[in-house]
Amino acid sequence: MKRWMCMNCGWTYDETLGDPAGGIAPGTPWEQIPDTWKCPDCGSPKSEFDMVEI
Amino acid sequence: MNVMTLPRLIDLEDKTFDPFVVEKLATGDAEDPYPLIHELQAKGSVHKGGYRELFTDLPDTLHALNQYMVFNYDTLLRVLTDAETFGNRDAFMHTLGRSFGRTVSVMDAPEHTRFRKIFQQAFLPQTVAKWGASVVDPVVTDLMSGFIGRGEADLVEEFTHHYPFQVIYRQLQLDREQAPIFHKLAIAQILTSLDLPQGFEAAAKLGVFFQALLDQRRAEPGDDLISHLATVEADGERLPDEVLISFLRQLMNAGGDTTYRGTSALLTGLLMNPDQLEAVRADRSLVPQAIDEALRWEGPVLTTIRYVRREVELDGVLLPEGAILNMILGSANRDPTKFKDPDRFDIFRDRTVRHLGFASGPHVCIGQHLARVEMTRAVNALLDRLPNLRLDPSKPPPKLLGHKLRVPDHIYVKFDA
Ligand code: HEM
Ligand SMILES: [Zn+2]
Repeated sequence: MKRWMCMNCGWTYDETLGDPAGGIAPGTPWEQIPDTWKCPDCGSPKSEFDMVEI
Repeated sequence: MNVMTLPRLIDLEDKTFDPFVVEKLATGDAEDPYPLIHELQAKGSVHKGGYRELFTDLPDTLHALNQYMVFNYDTLLRVLTDAETFGNRDAFMHTLGRSFGRTVSVMDAPEHTRFRKIFQQAFLPQTVAKWGASVVDPVVTDLMSGFIGRGEADLVEEFTHHYPFQVIYRQLQLDREQAPIFHKLAIAQILTSLDLPQGFEAAAKLGVFFQALLDQRRAEPGDDLISHLATVEADGERLPDEVLISFLRQLMNAGGDTTYRGTSALLTGLLMNPDQLEAVRADRSLVPQAIDEALRWEGPVLTTIRYVRREVELDGVLLPEGAILNMILGSANRDPTKFKDPDRFDIFRDRTVRHLGFASGPHVCIGQHLARVEMTRAVNALLDRLPNLRLDPSKPPPKLLGHKLRVPDHIYVKFDA
């Protein structure tokens, strides 16, 4: 399974869960997350995420 | 790899010095700091003074500094995620920096950002997941073989106090007979925060050992963690030895002392609440939320610190530049405006609000994925192999002690052998 992962802390984005506390509704595809959004664990920008096999 | 080629560790000069006893002095014997935390929390988020001074007269290296305490969840989160205003370096140079040297906790951006990513890479979820079977399981099985046939055990003395450290020894491929000295030096080095000479002696001796270890792994690299760190490059550069050695010094405390206590808290919470223990035993998909609840309820890192880099107002209190903030993570985790009935251990509670047991922001725990793997493997093994696991009714129940790094001295259990 592949997921978008924050390279600064290892947090992974699960599309089915979204990030409600960060204003991202469950079901939101990665591409639709605004560039201003930040990793909920460490605050890194979206550009710090890589697609990773987990 | 031939373990005979490993460098030797040298014990402390003073053989009578017992760092484990002194460590207890440092973490205190407070039975329950949370009533006082709730009292202060109710009076406001930011208070003048040092957290440690609420519980003990024994001064530490922060004592003479201008200290404040932060109690409420939202305020803690704001400080932890605003590293431009609230720094690490000038706070931790008085504490961890004295023991470990130039490690990630003692760095601010941009230095921190650069090194942090290299270290985090070695502890990403997909990497540490592999260590579950290759490193953690053998350690757990080995320790359990000491009591599995007996029908009773002290899960602290015989299990939790050893397994995360042994996971680290395996990563270092440390010789069994060297392990007790290693553990002792790793605990002793922290005591620089109480200004004890043994702290500096231990830090120096570990430094010599790690330098030799790095040299050796560079000469004959294997597929172990140290070989990886010793040779990894970022932007075409290798990690400086000073930064690597400081990180390795921190590993025992950041990874061992915390996971030992977190696992003890988890077992305490479950064993004291047999219905929840039963639920987890029957449905192992509940283990992750049980771990998170333990780290919220009795997170081992009850406090951390930050440095005020420029004058700033925080919840109506004007903080001068240079002040040290005691960040009471344990208070955020029991903030009644965020967690209903916060003192209760309840693995089924609503998890919309994230706990701060691993902190948040740029310094959020590097090892959280490893800690989760370790705790998951440990709990599953205990539940799988110790049928009818329960507290021993003839012995005192576990009681967490201390104002920080809380842990019970014993968890006496019985099971069907
Ligand atoms: C249950 C176990 C653990 C708990 C509760 C815990 C807790 C924490 C907390 C609260 C912090 C942030 C401190 C701050 O921001 O001031 C932290 C940082 C850190 N932890 Fe953990 N930790 C655990 C396990 C581990 C493990 C297994 C490792 C091993 C790799 C580790 C390595 C680190 C490191 C290197 C940092 C510093 C990160 C930085 O400053 O960028 N921790 N941990
Ligand atoms: Zn992140």
